[in-house]
Amino acid sequence: MAVALAPATTEEIMSVALSRQFRAREHAFIGLGTGDRAFIYAVGIPTVAAQLAADRGVDFCLQYGTLLDPSITGIPDSLGDPDLLDWECAARLPVERCLDVFRRGLMTCSFISGAQIDKFGNLNSVRIGREGPPKVRLTGPIAQADHAVFAQRTFVIMPHERRVFVDRVDFISAPGHGDGPGWRERQGLPGGGPDKVITDKAVLGFDAVSRRMTLDSVHPGVTVDEVVAATGFELLIPAGVGETPSPSAAELAAIRGRIDPTGKLLQARIK
Amino acid sequence: MTSKVATLSEAIGLIKDGDSVALGGHTLRRHPMAAAAEIVRQRKRDLHLIGWNSGIDFDLLVGAGCARIAETSYVGISGFGLARNFRRAAEAGSIEIREHSEISALDMFRAGASGMAFIASSVLMGTDVPATNPRIATVISPFDGKPYTAVQAAHPDVAIIHAHSADRHGNVQLDALHWPDNDADVFVGWAGKTTIVTVEQLVSDEAIREHPDFTILPRDAVTCVVEAPYGAYPCCCDDRYTYDLDFVGDYYAASADPAGFARYLDEWVFGLADHDAFLQKVGVDRLLAITTKGAL
Repeated sequence: MAVALAPATTEEIMSVALSRQFRAREHAFIGLGTGDRAFIYAVGIPTVAAQLAADRGVDFCLQYGTLLDPSITGIPDSLGDPDLLDWECAARLPVERCLDVFRRGLMTCSFISGAQIDKFGNLNSVRIGREGPPKVRLTGPIAQADHAVFAQRTFVIMPHERRVFVDRVDFISAPGHGDGPGWRERQGLPGGGPDKVITDKAVLGFDAVSRRMTLDSVHPGVTVDEVVAATGFELLIPAGVGETPSPSAAELAAIRGRIDPTGKLLQARIK
Repeated sequence: MTSKVATLSEAIGLIKDGDSVALGGHTLRRHPMAAAAEIVRQRKRDLHLIGWNSGIDFDLLVGAGCARIAETSYVGISGFGLARNFRRAAEAGSIEIREHSEISALDMFRAGASGMAFIASSVLMGTDVPATNPRIATVISPFDGKPYTAVQAAHPDVAIIHAHSADRHGNVQLDALHWPDNDADVFVGWAGKTTIVTVEQLVSDEAIREHPDFTILPRDAVTCVVEAPYGAYPCCCDDRYTYDLDFVGDYYAASADPAGFARYLDEWVFGLADHDAFLQKVGVDRLLAITTKGAL
């Protein structure tokens, strides 16, 4: 008996859009230190996307903190040490080796976010306000600075709001394409920088020449005008921007039945 | 062999106002919380706190007015959100923040532990982080003529970590290595000029010698050891106990404003003579509820 599936959620659309960015072999790092909405963006969506890519045949090594290749079905109920230690995996690396994976350039892709992003994909997770004491203190550079410097490609996963998409970030904690073409090369940055920005409204990329943010597609039900209104800088909009492909029935069934049956990932039901 | 056993009060008494003090642990894991509370109780001032991925430990010390500088990659209360005392102090300009990424923060301890002057790599290039931190500078490589970031070694006046066991001579062990992020504490411990280790249990010489592979700090690297069961509470401690999220949540709520936090300090720190009194107040039921069965 065919069962009608509920329409795709925004998080499912984002996960599927991200999953289509992966190639034959990938190694990604996913941090485990956040909760709620930040957890969905930093952990949930990347994990679901990687599993969907693996279903398609991508050889995907996922590194959760110091754990490599843990089983997706064994995702713990909490991130407390005893539960985390029960998570079956292929390797638990010393923390310095885990960070050396970044520095050696072995990370093909990574997932980052922040409180501000600008038109060149620079991210700020440190402070609002440029001089003196911050108007708002944020989380700090954490490992995102390291992802943005060393990963071959970074994928930025953010809420699409005007106060988040700003003309110029107040502090560069995770470098994107700096001030435009050639900047990363001049700075001596080994990684490739931001490749795609996936928001709750759209998929965005970076122009190959100017390195400025461009609109790739809008999610089902979202208009280009809505994206423009939620962006605080001039977005490059190519002619004929299409719609982000909707998840297929098979993808939705995989997410809901096998990858995230209890909502730990896309609904942050993890303690 | 000299005994390295001290009381928590004696050990924390080694810290002088203005010292640089490194604290081990990561997010909500194994921060030396019993030691942090004693620092508050002894009303230390103007400390330069150093960590690699900090949380409730830094927030407690900043909220209690013990710190002048905070040097770390993160100060947050994990899933609850930003550390509120830390955020207030930052926005008021009452604390100087020296930023790090996780790699550069670990590098300063790794260099300090290893006797290296600095570690050079491409870390933090293209970011605004180096401008906030005198420990981070650009150097030109003599080998390829290219710029790199140098992260200077940290040699904290006092390093404090929380570990699982030690003998009376100061040989310190973790139950296992490579458990989530616990290796970082090995670097923190080795980097200190003075190194204080709180442990879940003081054990016999024989117990340590039975598993010499798990000794992370031999006695010559340790100034004193202090028995502090549940010394990381309310953080989790590897396979011994998980975190007490209810306690952390209450802390987070109390830290919403200075008056609430002052009440927290009166109730949970100043109002209690020592760590034993703190554990009595937390209570057996609550401690057993977080304790892993294998650890009993």
